[in-house]
Amino acid sequence: MLEIRNLHANVDGREILKGLDLTLPTGEVHAIMGPNGSGKSTLAYVLAGKDDYEVTEGSVTWNGVDLLALDPTGRAVAGVFLAFQYPMEIPGVATMTFLRSSVNAVRKARGQEELSTPDFLRVLKEKAKDLNIDVEMLRRPLNVGFSGGEKKRNEILQMTLLEPSLCVLDETDSGLDIDALRVVADGVNALRSPERSMLVITHYQRLLDYIVPDRVHVLSDGRVARSGGPELAMELEKSGYAEFGGEATAA
Amino acid sequence: MDLSVQQFRTKAEQEFLDLYTKAEKTLPGSKNPFVADLRKNAIATYARLGLPHRRIEAWKYTDLRAHLEDVYPLATPHRGTIGTNELEAALGKAIVAFSAYRLVIVEGELREDLSDMSALKDAGAEITSLAQALETPPAWLKETLSKAGPREDDAVFALNTALMTGGVTLRLPKGLTLDKPIHLIHLDGTGDPASMVTRNVIVAEEGTSATILESYGSLGMKELQRNAVTEIEIGDKAAIHHIKFQREAVETTHLGIWLATIGADARYDAFQVSTGALLSRNQIYVGFDGEGSSTEISGACLMRGRQHCDTTLIVEHRVPACVSRELFKVVLDDHARGIFQGKVIVAPDAQKTDGKQMVNALLLSETAEFDSKPELEIFADDVVCGHGATSGQMNEDLLFYLESRGLPEAEARAMLIQAFVGEAFECIDNETLREAFSGVSADWLGVSLE
Repeated sequence: MLEIRNLHANVDGREILKGLDLTLPTGEVHAIMGPNGSGKSTLAYVLAGKDDYEVTEGSVTWNGVDLLALDPTGRAVAGVFLAFQYPMEIPGVATMTFLRSSVNAVRKARGQEELSTPDFLRVLKEKAKDLNIDVEMLRRPLNVGFSGGEKKRNEILQMTLLEPSLCVLDETDSGLDIDALRVVADGVNALRSPERSMLVITHYQRLLDYIVPDRVHVLSDGRVARSGGPELAMELEKSGYAEFGGEATAA
Repeated sequence: MDLSVQQFRTKAEQEFLDLYTKAEKTLPGSKNPFVADLRKNAIATYARLGLPHRRIEAWKYTDLRAHLEDVYPLATPHRGTIGTNELEAALGKAIVAFSAYRLVIVEGELREDLSDMSALKDAGAEITSLAQALETPPAWLKETLSKAGPREDDAVFALNTALMTGGVTLRLPKGLTLDKPIHLIHLDGTGDPASMVTRNVIVAEEGTSATILESYGSLGMKELQRNAVTEIEIGDKAAIHHIKFQREAVETTHLGIWLATIGADARYDAFQVSTGALLSRNQIYVGFDGEGSSTEISGACLMRGRQHCDTTLIVEHRVPACVSRELFKVVLDDHARGIFQGKVIVAPDAQKTDGKQMVNALLLSETAEFDSKPELEIFADDVVCGHGATSGQMNEDLLFYLESRGLPEAEARAMLIQAFVGEAFECIDNETLREAFSGVSADWLGVSLE
């Protein structure tokens, strides 16, 4: 279970999260929605442990583990995975090499046996196929020259390979056409399990047609302003974020 | 009337002259009038120039006169045992492991007992130790050694000519293609501080093709002052890859010069990677003497502590329609200092020249320093020449991305540093060699990457 209590966080000295409370039980999928600037992406980065996101107050625990005490690597080992809104391009690092190093680093830190190259390739090929990823693409440098859809599918591939227990998806739908969205959503849905929790951050309701959440939270000015069932997302689709400090038009 | 001015000399400057006076009669080739004259002229050139210092533009960032306090005596060969363990300790496993014609130069002397002399001869090359060749120099060697060029105003080169003891002379006869690289291994020795002055002279005749790797490592000498020159003449239609790997002990002073001349429709690719020595100066002179040729000069240096690494390139387009490419990657940590000077000279009739230069530095600390000085001297009007230099820090966003995927920080940094220098390593054509070099940055960082 993820428990966030009274979380305050600054970026560049400006307070973005202002006392956020959230409980995400194990095995559930919750959506975080809200207008631009409400703190959605900040929450994602704070959970993953980015350096320049400074937590000034509050606590975050994942299955009793104090996440704020861990560095980003430690959080990944503890089961946290952030699917980036804008995955990084790293010229000079072959995607395949990166994936293997990353999977084995995590396995080693979790006390599991590292995968041999043939074993790793077998797993990789199988998972890549499910996500409609051409293995040839994985020989290219990490995310370099990948289309928006390829980058997002690559994020989900990493998520699948690292077997996290807490998945945070930051605007995974941004920049995706409807077909790519379906592939990504199928990938995410395949990972839903009673042992795994997911936080799906999105501005639009569209993604939630494909990844149906157990609960929806609306963020406004760095706090959870309202929580409800999946129907809350539908309601926001009609009314927009006006009452949460966003633009009045429907999102 | 005598107008000569008594020039002030530093202690080290005088000691070089003393070193010559003391060794003059015993240096290889001292009984040969040609060689004796060559050395005499060279020491006179040095006496006129003195050691280069910061008021000489080409040595602005590397003040050799200030750096050198003492000059160590020429190394005396001890002929100690050198096996795989010693080689691996000096150069790293990967570099020792790949298959090559090995020539080992220790304490300034070619060790034939450790070298594949006969195999190289069987493959068709003409190979002699420099010391032996200087006793009765063949015509082609005399011709090469008598050429002008930087000999006239480069004190380091002049000292090398005056004091050279070891190295090899290698001739690749017309049309020879070597099946595996030649690996020239330069090692110090053990024991007291010493100077080592080596010269390799390589003539690659028309249509030859070969890869020549020079590596420099330490067996554990207390302190080494190295002056190492390689002259290489590349004939028409020849293709030569020339690679240098320097990981000497951090007390070392390493002065290296490569001097290449290129014939027509030929190709010369030079690659240098340095991780060792306290002060290193790598000078590469390349001159085009025939049309339609190309050169790619690339490399990387990874420095920390108070290491100082200077890469100075001079490419002379003396004839039309030649292409030069330069790409260097510089990684600096702690108080390390990196210098890149790239001069491209395009002669008045060297039309259709295409010359490009790029250097990128990655500074891992606030106190590291990188200086870059491009110099384009273009006297022709139909040319394409360009240069660029960047310097920056580790990208924290990329680092976070890798860490968020479970990679420990040290490993993530190593991966990014490897990626940064990797572009330069791509310039190594020989796949086996490229593989062997792929671990250099990880080795430098002390981490193992898959």
